Amino acid sequence: MSKLATLAEAVASIPSGAHVALSGFAITRCNMAFAREVIRQGIRHLTVSQCVGAMDADLLVGAGAVDRMIYGGGSLDRFGRLNNVNRGIESGTLVAEEYSSLSVAFRYLAGALGLPFIPIRSLRGSDILARLQQIAPENVSTVQDPFTSEEWLALRPLVPDVAVVQVQVADEEGNAWIYGPRWDNEEQVKASQRVIVITEQLVPTEIIRRDPERTVIPGFKVSHVVHLPFSAHPTSVYRVYDYDAEHIREYAAATRTVEGFQAYLEKYVLGVRDHWEYLERVGGMKHLTSLLADPILGY
Amino acid sequence: MYAEDYTFFELMAVAGARELKDGEIVAVGIGLPVVASFLAKRTHAPHLTILFELGIVDPEPIHTGVGLADPRVWYRAKVMSSFVDMLGMVLHRGLVDVGFLGGLETDAYGNLNTTLLGDPKGKFTHFVGSGGANDIASSAKRVVIIIRHEARKLKEAVSFVTSPGYLRGNGAREAAGLPGGPVRVITDKAIFGFDPQSKRLRLESIHPRVTLEDVLASMSFRPLVPDQVPVTEPPTVEQIRLIREEIDPERIYAG
Repeated sequence: MSKLATLAEAVASIPSGAHVALSGFAITRCNMAFAREVIRQGIRHLTVSQCVGAMDADLLVGAGAVDRMIYGGGSLDRFGRLNNVNRGIESGTLVAEEYSSLSVAFRYLAGALGLPFIPIRSLRGSDILARLQQIAPENVSTVQDPFTSEEWLALRPLVPDVAVVQVQVADEEGNAWIYGPRWDNEEQVKASQRVIVITEQLVPTEIIRRDPERTVIPGFKVSHVVHLPFSAHPTSVYRVYDYDAEHIREYAAATRTVEGFQAYLEKYVLGVRDHWEYLERVGGMKHLTSLLADPILGY
Repeated sequence: MYAEDYTFFELMAVAGARELKDGEIVAVGIGLPVVASFLAKRTHAPHLTILFELGIVDPEPIHTGVGLADPRVWYRAKVMSSFVDMLGMVLHRGLVDVGFLGGLETDAYGNLNTTLLGDPKGKFTHFVGSGGANDIASSAKRVVIIIRHEARKLKEAVSFVTSPGYLRGNGAREAAGLPGGPVRVITDKAIFGFDPQSKRLRLESIHPRVTLEDVLASMSFRPLVPDQVPVTEPPTVEQIRLIREEIDPERIYAG
C-alpha cells in the first residue's frame, strides 16, 4: 500500500499538542523541511523528544511551536549552542525535561519493548536527576531489584505519538534504510505510535527486498512517506550531502538574539511558499550540488 | 627522546594518551580526547578500541570534523550502530575502561558541569547539558577529566553536577550506587589525582616551566599538595610528530 504523501499532507496529520520524536542529532539528519512546514502550518504546543538536542528542535522552539522538550542536552557542534532552546529554558517559556543521551534512549527502548519501566545507572547522584524530580516527578522513580534487593533508578517508558525520521532510502510503504550511525532513531521509531518517513531517495519495494537486512524502519509502523530531496538542509545526510557550513553559521549567528532569529524565520521559513522555494532561496541547484557527498568519503 | 618544542595543548594530549593501556576500551567526545586516543593507538596501545556515543567504533578520519555529528569523524569506522549499542550494551554493561570528559567547570571531587552557569534556581545561562557525559561518568571504570586551568573552571563545588565525580567525597559516590569515578584531572598547568580516602583532588605533577604558585593561583580552592611534587613527563619527539603530522595536521583540535 502506498503511503506517499506531500510534506504538507504529512505535517497536517500532526495535531497541535502532539508528542513528536525527531531524528536529528546536532547537525545531521535533522528534520529541517518538516520543521519549516510545521511552523508554516501554525502547529503549536508540541512536545519534542530526541536523545541529543538538534537543529530541527531548535528551529521549532524558536518559532514558539514547542511547549516541552525531552532531551539529553545538545548543540550545533562547533557552530554553536541551541540558542533558541537555551533561551526558552532560561526565560521559562520552554519546559525542558533534561536527561542524558542514554536515559532518553532507554526511555524509548522501554517504550519500544512495551516494558512498564526501565532501570538505569545513569543520573544517580546528579543535579540532572534532582531537577527532573522537580520538573517531571512522574517520569523518574526508584525500584528494588527483586533478585538482589539493590535499589535502582527507574524511568518511565517514552511513547511518542509520532516519530519523524529523515532517511536516505525508503519505498512507498515506508520500509526504510538508514546509512551510517542511527543514534536513537530505531528506538524512537519502535517506541512511537506511528512514523512519518522523510526520504532523500524513493526506491521500488523490490530494491528493499534485495537487501532487507538494511531495513531499520518497517513499513507497517509508517503512516506517511514523503519523498523530498535536500529535506535535511542545512544539516548533513550521510552518503547523500554534507552540512552547509555557511548556512549553519548564519543560523547560529541569527539565533543569538530574538530579533535575529525572527529575521531568519521571515527569510527562510515564513517568507517561502514551500520546500522548493526554500531551496532556491538558499542558493538553488548550483549551491546544493556543491554539497553532494563524495561516494567514498560519505560527506 | 623528549621534545623541546611543544604546546601545553600537546602536553595535555600526551598526558591523556598515557592514561590509556593497550587492549582497553575508551569512550571519547570530540577535541583533545580524540587526539589523546588516536595518539595512544598509534604508539603504546595499538589494540585500543575507541567508541563514540552515537554508534561509532574505531574510525580512521582523514579530515577533522566539527563534532560527533560530522561524518568526517565516522570515516572508516568498524561499527556504525546506536546509543543503545554503545552507551547501553558497552558502557552501561560495564565494559568501558576509560571515559574522557571535559566541561565548563570541575571541582574538588571531580564533579563536572556542562549544563549551566549562574544560579540554577534564579538567573542562569544554559549551555550544552549532558549528552553522553553523565552516562560515561556513571558507568566507565575510570574517568579522565581534561580542562583548562583557570580559577573559574576549577572550583570547590560546581554550580550544577551534570556528571558525578565523587560528589562530596568520603563514600558519597558509592552511596549513590555508582562504580568507578574520576582518576585524573589534566590541565594545562598540572596533573591531579584523588586522595584514596577523602576523594579530594590531589596534585600529582606540575608541567615543565610551571611553578606550584602558578598552579594554586589559578584555582578557586586548594587541592591536597604532597611534600614532593614531580615534574610532568614531557612529550617525546615522536609523539609531537604524530600529533602535528598525522593526527591533527590542520591544527583544528590544537587550535
